[in-house]
Amino acid sequence: MKKSKNTPNLNRRNFLAGTASVAGLAATASVVPISFANANHTEGSKGLPDFINWKNRDALIVHSDKGIETHRSAIGEGLITPNANVYIRNNMPTMSDAQIGDKNNWKVSFEGVNNPKSFTLAELKAMGTTTIATVLQCSGNGRGFFEHGPSGSQWQTGAAACVMWTGIPVKTLVDACGGISSGANFMTSAGVDYEPTGLAAKDAMVERSVPKKVYEDALLAWDMNGVPLPNSHGGPLRMITPGYFGINNVKHLGKVAFTADESQVKFMKSSYRISPIGKKGSEYPTCWEMPVKSWITRPTDETGTVKAGKVQIVGVAFGGTRKVKSVKVSVDGGNKWQKAKFIGPDLGKFAWRQFVLETTLSAGTYNIASLASNGKDKQPELRMENRRGYAHNGWKDHSVNITIV
Amino acid sequence: MKLLRLILAATGIFFLNISYLIADEAKMTKGLEIFNETAVCAACHVLKAAGSEGNVGPNLDTVAVTTESVTDIVTNGLGVMPAFGEDEILTKEEIEAVVYFVVNSAGK
Repeated sequence: MKKSKNTPNLNRRNFLAGTASVAGLAATASVVPISFANANHTEGSKGLPDFINWKNRDALIVHSDKGIETHRSAIGEGLITPNANVYIRNNMPTMSDAQIGDKNNWKVSFEGVNNPKSFTLAELKAMGTTTIATVLQCSGNGRGFFEHGPSGSQWQTGAAACVMWTGIPVKTLVDACGGISSGANFMTSAGVDYEPTGLAAKDAMVERSVPKKVYEDALLAWDMNGVPLPNSHGGPLRMITPGYFGINNVKHLGKVAFTADESQVKFMKSSYRISPIGKKGSEYPTCWEMPVKSWITRPTDETGTVKAGKVQIVGVAFGGTRKVKSVKVSVDGGNKWQKAKFIGPDLGKFAWRQFVLETTLSAGTYNIASLASNGKDKQPELRMENRRGYAHNGWKDHSVNITIV
Repeated sequence: MKLLRLILAATGIFFLNISYLIADEAKMTKGLEIFNETAVCAACHVLKAAGSEGNVGPNLDTVAVTTESVTDIVTNGLGVMPAFGEDEILTKEEIEAVVYFVVNSAGK
């Protein structure tokens, strides 16, 4: 008896869950007024939420309808991640076409400048255009490796992509507004995707401040890898902050302000703070610059049996806000390292580089790791332990075990 | 005598199980009430068992839920999700009940 009392009553729980009593509870639940948009989240026939049912299901790991990761091997052989394979991380529901309306009339305002102005997307397109490649990476990419089990999507490597963005440099718009007002320390970008939810701006608005200097590299993007920016990636207009974590690349952009202080909304003040395990608070650093990082994309346990002989060890590496300079690869868990070769075009310091090490491996098991450097910093061996599992760039956790036959 | 002891034992076990069932059902009812009314989790989450269709947070019928993870998120918040425990919006008992309800009804 004593034993059964202390044993989790799984059978009883299952029984309860399957009985009419629970069904009855649900049926008689008071109906709360649901005013929030709910058209985008129904799971589609492919096992993906409707709002991204155009994506490649086979390339993706679905953590939730708001957190969808790219398989390590689906980063692919190309330099640019195809849109259909790019991860999804939404803090607010993706805006629908109906909520967005005529995309050419989408407005973004500029404040904290000498002549505050508002521009439509059509006006922006007439004022200037350029294309840049950047690594887009969720702050929590690699969270799945943390042993203390931080809450949130358990990303491993796939909350990251290399994307070509087309849009207008923020600098062009700053010039058009007569320059930045004196006293500004930050560029603060705000999304409007919280508005249809009816939630308060201080709680739900994705407004992120980054150091003012970021404006010199930043872009307002309306095109992603050659197609109009999909709503699910923040269309029709998104702030791109090269070298900075994904959260700073604000979706559904409605306002850019040059401010003396950081935004006081929750997504700036308390979320995305890199604090010790067991602690939290706005005094800890926020998720800004991405650290140098790399990982192997082939071979992995996802890419099938590897035959003994010549093997191509392939991966991606990026340097954060600095250009990645070198990558070393180890096949013995980090005891010996060999210099890998960069391949493919160099799309600039904010893009990732592909690398390859050609080697010969006999039958056996191997732990393959990569270690990148941007000339100033290199990847540490171990993760930086922190409460929410942010900014992981330790090489050891990102290594892969493979068997050669 | 032996038969009587057996009957008494069986009756005891029966009532013990019934009390557990009542306790669980009460906890489920309380959890549902908190989910839909007290904390209004329903406004932001899909959960079929609660009849809710909110679309701000993840669809709870499609995510992996454990008592530990849901307790942490409900207590401390995550992203737009309020810290129901830390900000004392819910009591510890209320959190326990709503977590129990979510963990035992998500995906069912």
